[in-house]
Amino acid sequence: MQSFSPELKMLRKPSLLIVDDEPNVLLTLKLVLEEDGYQISTAASYAEAEKLIRKPCPFDAILTDLWMEKEDIGLELARSASKLRPRPIIVIFTGFGSTGNARAALGVPVDYFALKPLDVDELKRVLNRLVVTNAADRTVRL
Amino acid sequence: MSGWRGSKFALVVHPDLSVLSQYQTLLASGGFTTVVARDLPTALLAITQHFFDVAVVSSQLSEAGDGWPLAGVLHLVFPQSYIGVLAPGTDLLTLQSAINSGVQDVYEITQTPQNVVSALLAATNNPATLNPKKNPPDAPQVH
Repeated sequence: MQSFSPELKMLRKPSLLIVDDEPNVLLTLKLVLEEDGYQISTAASYAEAEKLIRKPCPFDAILTDLWMEKEDIGLELARSASKLRPRPIIVIFTGFGSTGNARAALGVPVDYFALKPLDVDELKRVLNRLVVTNAADRTVRL
Repeated sequence: MSGWRGSKFALVVHPDLSVLSQYQTLLASGGFTTVVARDLPTALLAITQHFFDVAVVSSQLSEAGDGWPLAGVLHLVFPQSYIGVLAPGTDLLTLQSAINSGVQDVYEITQTPQNVVSALLAATNNPATLNPKKNPPDAPQVH
């Protein structure tokens, strides 16, 4: 099991929202990241995710598929998430990457853009770094 | 300290001296004190010596793609600063590298320094677009 840095161990369990309309992907990511110490919520659609991010308990990171109800709908979720304060880490993963949607993701901006098939070890490593950095940044500002 | 603002510093990292010279001139007219570097060690040394408000980095220094890790380091050290990367093209993998390195924009290497600096100055004159990944301390909670 991957362990968090000492800084993150001192904080509450980081909470992640994983959004994908493919149940197998959702379940796999949930199991893998739960094992890494994250508290996981899931949503099977953009609409469901939009409702969840409006609730008072903020997520430390939102990981979303790009194509769900519509092409590139994950970008809409990323845009909504980027307006939240505190701003969560935003990760997009897709099997349909293009210069168009990558350019749009750069403009949001998202923190990490992964192409399917996902390299889970890479995702875990990057997520750990981003969540720790973001948490440290918030702590400094308190 | 409120309201204090020292000189604005820019870092330009590119293997071509003539390109560095053009950027230095253009950025000076934009009010920046510009530090230039032709390679990674010089750029890393500069990062230890200055706070950079903006950086323009070629994605190719001594070899293809070696500018990307430098851009990533710049983002980690100066998370609120504007970082632009000059790349041979803006294909999917290049844009993915840009996002994952935390840079704000990618410019095709064929772009003139004038165009790049104009875009950079426009971005840095708009604080809302300068560090959108950061949480402003007084930003309203949106739920």
